[in-house]
Amino acid sequence: MVQLENVTKQFGNYKAVNELNLNVRAGEFLTLLGPSGCGKTTTLRMIAGFEKPTSGSVKIGEKKVDHVEPYKREANTVFQSYALFPHMTVSENVAFGLKMKKINKQEIAERVKQALKMVQLESYGDRSVKQLSGGQQQRIAIARAIVNNPKVLLLDEPLGALDLKLRKQMQMELKRLQKSLGITFIYVTHDQEEALTMSDRIVVMNEGEIEQTGRPNEIYEKPKTRFVANFIGETNIFKGVVDNLNGNYASLKVAGQHVLIPKSSNLKEAEEVYISVRPENAKISDQQQDNLFVLTGEFKEKVYIGTTTKIVVELNGGMEMIVHESNGKMDGVKKGNPISVSWEPADSVILR
Amino acid sequence: MIKNIKLAYSLLSPSMLWLLLFLVIPVAMIVVISFTVSDGYGGTIYEFSLSSYKLAFSSFYLKIIWQSVLWAFAASVICLVMAYPFAYFIARVDKGKNILLFLVMIPFWSNLVVRLYSWNALLNDGGVINNILMHFGIISEPVKMLYTSFAIIVGLVYGFLPFMILPIYSSIEQLDKSYLEAAEDLGANPVKTFFRVTLPLTLPGIIAGFIMTFVPAISVFVVADLLGGNKLVMVGNVIRDSFLVEMNWQLGAALSILLMVLVLLSVLLFMKFTSSKDKKFLF
Repeated sequence: MVQLENVTKQFGNYKAVNELNLNVRAGEFLTLLGPSGCGKTTTLRMIAGFEKPTSGSVKIGEKKVDHVEPYKREANTVFQSYALFPHMTVSENVAFGLKMKKINKQEIAERVKQALKMVQLESYGDRSVKQLSGGQQQRIAIARAIVNNPKVLLLDEPLGALDLKLRKQMQMELKRLQKSLGITFIYVTHDQEEALTMSDRIVVMNEGEIEQTGRPNEIYEKPKTRFVANFIGETNIFKGVVDNLNGNYASLKVAGQHVLIPKSSNLKEAEEVYISVRPENAKISDQQQDNLFVLTGEFKEKVYIGTTTKIVVELNGGMEMIVHESNGKMDGVKKGNPISVSWEPADSVILR
Repeated sequence: MIKNIKLAYSLLSPSMLWLLLFLVIPVAMIVVISFTVSDGYGGTIYEFSLSSYKLAFSSFYLKIIWQSVLWAFAASVICLVMAYPFAYFIARVDKGKNILLFLVMIPFWSNLVVRLYSWNALLNDGGVINNILMHFGIISEPVKMLYTSFAIIVGLVYGFLPFMILPIYSSIEQLDKSYLEAAEDLGANPVKTFFRVTLPLTLPGIIAGFIMTFVPAISVFVVADLLGGNKLVMVGNVIRDSFLVEMNWQLGAALSILLMVLVLLSVLLFMKFTSSKDKKFLF
């Protein structure tokens, strides 16, 4: 549906987007995820047409749009600031795109009504946009875009200004809306949780380049790079040297202790690799348990975070590790007490 | 929110005192004087009378006032048409914004009288413009420009253009670019975007500019003095002459009040017209 081929955008000497290749499928919810300055918004703006790529080419549908002005592109944008026209009513805002296409008045009225119904603000048509709350403005901004039946809807951090509860609710609504309309959504966010909740596919970007593309579970469970592992969720990253490939698992020497990791085909002896271990996959191990390997260390501190308790362990060899354990497990354990940590070798994800 | 009302008043008191002494009291004096009788030598006989208003409302003065309204209005409209693209350019230019703004303000460094004299030199029969046009054979004899309505309007436009540029510039500068992108995103070409989004959203700047141009333009007298000769006068000239030449303070006061009311009314009318609920008047 949308294709970017070797797209580069340069602002002066600064490369905002570097040789980006991306193929967005029809009807999918694709999220561009990354920290601020990673080039995700610039990428979106190049699809909308507000920025012209320095080199490379953008396709919407089957059509190359490199020389097509934004007002002729079959994509609509939901802006981060909503950009609702303050001198128009809600209905006039929603009708704007249809009016520009010179659609007859009756049909405009009908479609505006439908769009407002879709965002559950049917009775708000005559209000001034200034009278709406942030959440309502957000919905009108969405209605104003989808009323045009675009091939692609571009959303630039549309929920950024809403409070947490409303944001969660809008995430579900947006997802539902996208499913029922079947429109391709390209969604920009820096919120990894939002990306995981809503997307069919996530494109993780960093410094103008794509780090990894994949389904939410792939991105979370099988991050390919240190950046992705770090950016998506909380994780422990260890640097180690492969020192034994003879057993069922590969052995990795991490700060003087041994960790077993899955034997992937291209591991070489004495190779330096990074692994990522999610805190919820690691366990504080009791001596009785039969673990494949154990790392020893000292208890440092614990933080209650609701469903679990976050435990900070100072591993022997000077590294810190975070483990999520059931609440109450560390009751009575004092700072400096020796404890040990373990996890399934399969839960170590090898990063490059 | 102002939390400390006493502090607010004490900080405001110098300016309030200033306004009281040099605006409220003088205006009150003018109102009072306009309802009294002249002694013929610039003095005042404190007796209630409407005679100066009767004179001010005579067709002679009404014609001059009407002429001034027309000139000031025409000049303001021309200023608007000239200032908007210029202000837009300054607001949107990448480099040199400050230099351009500086250039707009440079004329304020010298007196309007001095600058209008140069227009006198440009416009008169043997002046620069006529000479150039004759030199290239475009005209065979000088075109009369000085001491015509044309010269007065040129003078007014020249004198007050910066007052139109600056407020419009500031409203365009503050206009959030995302509105323009949104319009474009929704299928509006640049022309439609301008008329449906940019212009309505910069209307406050246009209103401010129009008022800041029209109000001084209607009451100024140096322009008519220098470019209108002795035949073309504006209401500012007759007010000055009533006070200083005819020594008839009562008539001057009545004309001043009349002008003030007229300006207030036209400003109100203009604001009502441009901020009416039906904003589609532009299209």
